[in-house]
Amino acid sequence: MDTGYWALQFLNALQFSMLLFLLSIGLTVIFGLLHFVNLAHGALYMLGAYIGVSAAASFGSYWAAFFLAPVGVTIIGAILYFTLIERLRHAGPMNQVLVTFGLIFVFLDLVRMTWGDIALGLEAPAALAGSSEFAGISYPTYRFFIIAVGAVVMAALWVGLTRTQIGAMIRAGVENGNMAAALGINVNRLFFLVFCVGCALAGLAGVIAAPVFSATTGMGISILIPTLIVVVIGGLGSLEGAIAGSLIVGFIETLGAVFLPEVAAISSYVLLAAVLILRPQGLIPARG
Amino acid sequence: MFKQTRLRSVVLAATLTGLIAYCVMGGFYAREIVVEIAILAILAISLDVVAGFGGMVSLCHGAIMGIAAYAYGILTVKFGLPPLPSAVAAVAGAAVFGTVVGWITGRTSGIFFIMATLAFGQMAYTLIFKSQWLGGDDGMSGLPRFDLSWLGIKMGSSLTYGLFAIALTAAVYIAAAWVLRSAFGRTLGGIHANETRMKALGVNTILHRARAMGFSALLAGIAGIVAAQHTQFISPELLFWTISGEVLIVVILGGLGTLIGPVIGAVAFISLKHQVSGITDHWHIVVGLLLIVIVVAGGRGLYGQSEHWLAMRAGKAEDKTGDKSGDRGHA
Repeated sequence: MDTGYWALQFLNALQFSMLLFLLSIGLTVIFGLLHFVNLAHGALYMLGAYIGVSAAASFGSYWAAFFLAPVGVTIIGAILYFTLIERLRHAGPMNQVLVTFGLIFVFLDLVRMTWGDIALGLEAPAALAGSSEFAGISYPTYRFFIIAVGAVVMAALWVGLTRTQIGAMIRAGVENGNMAAALGINVNRLFFLVFCVGCALAGLAGVIAAPVFSATTGMGISILIPTLIVVVIGGLGSLEGAIAGSLIVGFIETLGAVFLPEVAAISSYVLLAAVLILRPQGLIPARG
Repeated sequence: MFKQTRLRSVVLAATLTGLIAYCVMGGFYAREIVVEIAILAILAISLDVVAGFGGMVSLCHGAIMGIAAYAYGILTVKFGLPPLPSAVAAVAGAAVFGTVVGWITGRTSGIFFIMATLAFGQMAYTLIFKSQWLGGDDGMSGLPRFDLSWLGIKMGSSLTYGLFAIALTAAVYIAAAWVLRSAFGRTLGGIHANETRMKALGVNTILHRARAMGFSALLAGIAGIVAAQHTQFISPELLFWTISGEVLIVVILGGLGTLIGPVIGAVAFISLKHQVSGITDHWHIVVGLLLIVIVVAGGRGLYGQSEHWLAMRAGKAEDKTGDKSGDRGHA
């Protein structure tokens, strides 16, 4: 019984970590490459969930939502990129924080106008309904699916960033954007590509979270702060940092809430403050 | 660098007069709005001191205000102490919190400072939200107003309270202007402009930053006291980070680094909020779009843009900032 309970909490923590990873990897690479602070990243996650709910309703299949939500969020992201983000790239962190804070409000009300204030559920596909046995404990199959999606994305990004030419270009851009541009890399196109991938992953995170947590108007704001914590403690622009940060924050928040509720609530903020002051480059910085 | 130009004095006097007139002639509802404006104006002035003149964009000013409000609540409701000493202690407590946060974060800048202040603000929010003793999510009620009956002043009346809030706004503005014009304020401006040079001149920049945050937190604490006594009820919502974000919006809306701008911003923000809320439920989209437009338009804000425009018209186009336009004539 006791070990089973621990294993259950372990899986919950792992599943939350994977959602955080999907959100923070986009945010951190945009941060590292474009030096852009996007507070609206949480809003894109929310949009992913709502677009997923509508797509599933129109096409009658979860898998339609699974593919259309990232596409829809990427289109919204691309529009944002050309209207606002490109011109704010050199505007300094305060202006970026302000504009993307404004975007949070805009998206929040747009979602309320389009979908209303009530939480909308999304049915998990029949193949993933019910529970599966793992190491002697029973756990919802759909939550295993979330962990698997996170792991697949993690592996794909790792291969993409470390083993392909475009990955080498992105790493060069994070290391030194001007030098990369001088060496003939089209940095602006790279920025746009990375931004789109970040948006797609935020949309994906939203649609895979919806069957578990429902689509709510508050989901964007409540996930934003843990995601920012992951990005900062991991190190801006760092894939390994985002993985480590997601696992740390995911486990602290989930296990802490169960075993040490009084301490857990502030522990990730304490961690954030400690990293910012003692090791502002993050635990696993992208630049050597 | 801060200059209390004639234009700024005129705008301040006109705004305060307008608020007083609205408060005296309007009904209960008008006075509620006046108090809301005053609280927001005080908080925005306090944020402008660090963000506009020290380059320290804090995302914990809502939390600082909330800390003062809760300290006031604890001292009066939980310990039964008289309101006036409790308020002084609560504001001092907020100032200590601000100084400590400023000192700890003194080495960070830019987005790291923003994130660090966010972390400290959220810590305070979470602790209060989780505290059963402080009422948790439900907040605390029954906070007393100052008892000035020995002066023949009834603080219970909405008119008196509105005028009291306006008077405090004026006092906070004067205090902020006085500090920014002092040697300390000039040094702070120097650190903002060129930190390396100020260090080379032997200035302890971290100490100055910490003091600036402490002074700013003192002003934010005053806003907390006015807010706590206004509705005589406080809840953890006061400390949530989006409140700090809204205050930053108000500062930008009026004009960052102008000190009078935040007051104008508060008037515009609250008026707009009540106007728009009367028409539609979707007030946030209006704020969001307004904020985006203001930042994309150059980020000077309502007052800052007007001052800049006047300076251009007066043939001072060679001056880069609105601040310098007051250099000639009246210093």
